Formats: sequence, C-alpha cells, structure tokens
Amino acid sequence: MIHIEGASKRFGSNTILDGIDLRIAPGEVVSILGPSGSGKSTLIRCINGLEKLDGGSISVDGHRVDDPKGLQLARRCSGTVFQLFNLYPHMTALQNITLAPIEVLKIPRARAEQAARELLASVGLGERADLYPSQLSGGQRQRVGICRALAMQPRYLLLDEVTSALDPEMTAEVLAILGKLARSGTTMLFVTHEIDFAREISDRIVFLDGGRLLADLPAAQFFAFDGGLAQPRIAQFLSKMNKS
Amino acid sequence: MMRYTDFTSHDLFLLLQGLGVSVALFAATTLIGGVIGLGWALLRYYRVPLLAPAAALLAELLKNSPVLVQLFLVFFGLPVLLETDLTPVQAALITLSGNTAAFIYVIAVSAIESVGREQIETARVFGLSRWQTLRRIVAPQAAAFGFGPLAGLLINQLQVTSLISVIGVIDLTKVGAILNLRTLKPFIVWTVIGLLYYLMARLIAGACARVEARLRAHREWKGL
Repeated sequence: MIHIEGASKRFGSNTILDGIDLRIAPGEVVSILGPSGSGKSTLIRCINGLEKLDGGSISVDGHRVDDPKGLQLARRCSGTVFQLFNLYPHMTALQNITLAPIEVLKIPRARAEQAARELLASVGLGERADLYPSQLSGGQRQRVGICRALAMQPRYLLLDEVTSALDPEMTAEVLAILGKLARSGTTMLFVTHEIDFAREISDRIVFLDGGRLLADLPAAQFFAFDGGLAQPRIAQFLSKMNKS
Repeated sequence: MMRYTDFTSHDLFLLLQGLGVSVALFAATTLIGGVIGLGWALLRYYRVPLLAPAAALLAELLKNSPVLVQLFLVFFGLPVLLETDLTPVQAALITLSGNTAAFIYVIAVSAIESVGREQIETARVFGLSRWQTLRRIVAPQAAAFGFGPLAGLLINQLQVTSLISVIGVIDLTKVGAILNLRTLKPFIVWTVIGLLYYLMARLIAGACARVEARLRAHREWKGL
C-alpha cells in the first residue's frame, strides 16, 4: 500500500502540493491526470524521495520516506520510469538494466543478465541488448527504461509522463507494453496526459489541479456526467484535451 | 686539439641524466598530486564538513599563486618553520605535487558537476549508495568529460617542472644552464633542451590520445 496523507510541498512561495490524500493498493492501476504544473510529477518525486515533503507523510508498505532507513526500504518496493528516460549513457541497454539488481539486490551477474535479456525480449528489444542508449530510438530507450524498473521486481511501478517526450508512433509502442503490464496485475501509478489510454487501463483516476486533489474516482465514474464531469474544472480540462 | 667549449660525449650523459630527473619528478608529482587532488574532490563529493571547504581554499590559493613563489616558500620557508632541512628534490616534490593536486581538484570537481543531476537522482532512486553512484555512474561519465582538460594540464605541468632548476635540482633545464655556461653556445644548447621538452610533451599528448580513444571505443556515446 502506498499511503499518502496530507502531503504538502512548496517551492519558495509556490505551493505545489496542497494536502494530498491518496492510497494505492497492490494490484491497482491509478492514473493521475491534471494540467501541467498541477503537481503530478512532484507527487511522484515525493514518493520516491527525490523531493522532501513540507507537510504530511508518505509511506510505501509501511516504510516512511522521510526517514533515511525507511526511504531505502521504500525505494526497494517501487520502480520509477522517467519522462526523459534517464538511461545511463555510458552503459549498454543490458548494463542499464542489470546495474541495480547486481549492485543493490546482489543478484549474481549471470542470473541478472538472463533476467534482463528475457525482459528485453518481452518488450521486443531482444536484439538490442548490447546497444548504447545513443544507438536507440526514443521509444526503444523508454522500453529499456521500463525494463530497468521491472528488473528490480518492484511492487509499485511509478510512471512519470513516460510518453511525453515521444512521437505518436513511439508512444503507441510504449503504451502497448504498459497496457500488457496493467492487465497482468502490475500495480501502477501512472502520471500521464494520455487520457484515452488512462481511461482504458485504470482502476481509478485521480485529478490534480493547483496542487489539490479534485477527484479520486473509479475510471468509469470519472468520465460520467454525474461523476467527474460534474466538476467544471475537470470538464473544462477534458474538453480542452479532446480538442488537441 | 679540443677546447673546453667543445661538446663531449659526457655532455650527452649529462643531458640524459637531466632528462631522467625531469621525467621522474613529473611522474612522481603527477601521481602524488593526482591522488591528493582526487581525494580533495571526494571530500567535496561527500560534503565532509570543515575538510571540504579547507581543500577548496587550499586549491584556490595554490592555483592562483606563482609556482615559483610556492617553491621558494617551501624551500626557504618550510625549513625555518619546521626547523628541519629540506633537500631541493624534497622541496620540488612537495611544491609540484601540491600544485598538480590543486589543478586536478579543479578538473575533477567540474567534471563531476558536468554529470547530469538526473543521472545521480536515477541511481539513488534505484537504491545505489552514494559510493556506488560515484563509482558506477558519476566517475565513468566524469572521466570522459575531464580527460581533455587533464591532458592539457599534464603537458603544462611538465613545462612547470623546469622551474625547480632555480633551487638547484639538476633537471633538464639545469643541465642546459650548465652546458650553456661551459660551451658558450646558447643557441644550440637551448634549442636541444627545448626540443627534448617538446618531444616529452608530444609523448604525453600521444599517450593521452590513445587512452581517450580506448575510452571512446568502449562507449558508443559521445558525451551527452
């Protein structure tokens, strides 16, 4: 269970997160929608400890992220996929994936490499294991990024606008893999602008605006006229996104 | 009949001896200075209180004052302060090592800072410790960034070794001064000395280029 309680974050006089309460249970797929600057990515960065909260608390499977020991354990439970991939440029795809399993989980190299090759094959990159990130397309890089997160066998997958830097064709490649993961029962917290896709795969949809949580509804209800759409801010956001 | 101003085979021996002293001092001070400079950079990476700012201040002082002044301070000043004797070679070792350390520190710090913050964040999110992050993520990328400046520094530090001749170390430059005094053929003597420094610099540059090529061959990436 990812347990977020009254999470607040300020940068200077800017309030980025304003008392967010949210729970994600194992097996759930939760999408976070909202306009740019609404605090979606900051929320992810608070869950994996890259930003410190100014108020409230976050725990992952009982490990509080504001405590150094707890953060270490919390980070073992979750895997992050980044908007700009953040692959290590000096390592091959395979090395990118096996680094943390070998160094952190102390898995023997041969086993880690075998697992990484299987992951790469499952996302259609079986032949690209020994290429460097600069030799891969954006969509391929992000698929390696997903494999890298999965190689840690995380209980929660945190996805931070993972298709925002990709063109539509590459976006489709990556979404296909995420869809497969969602259907196989992987727990995902999915920050995205891909509304149709979010609707398709999510159990719940969370809407953030100006650092506040305006809705936390089952996916079908979020898009219903007597549900999320009853809120003017959400209706406005969805109609704008549909036009573009 | 041979005059004392003529060149002899012994002069060649003297020249090689001076060359050996210069090369040995350069190699030793590069090694010592490299270890110290990287150590200072580590203090900064781990943000060690007191020691990290102290290293930064020391490097700042060393890189912004003339090596010759540092050499005089060590050779004439240190013995007074510590009430011991210091041989010219010891003084040269201390001064050049310290000076090299200061510049290695500067190169290492800027190379480390040129590694993207997101690289470090990613490694930390995946649970790598600070040391693992340094060893596996920061150091390899910083090395690629820092290699060019390092090659330039080494060639410069080779030339700087010639300063130690003024406190009586019989290095290549001092041998040049001795031969010049005896033969009274400054144009020939200093041309030969200059060419020898030039050849050494080319050797260092060539070695650096080869190492860099090998670094790149393993990595298809071209920086960032």
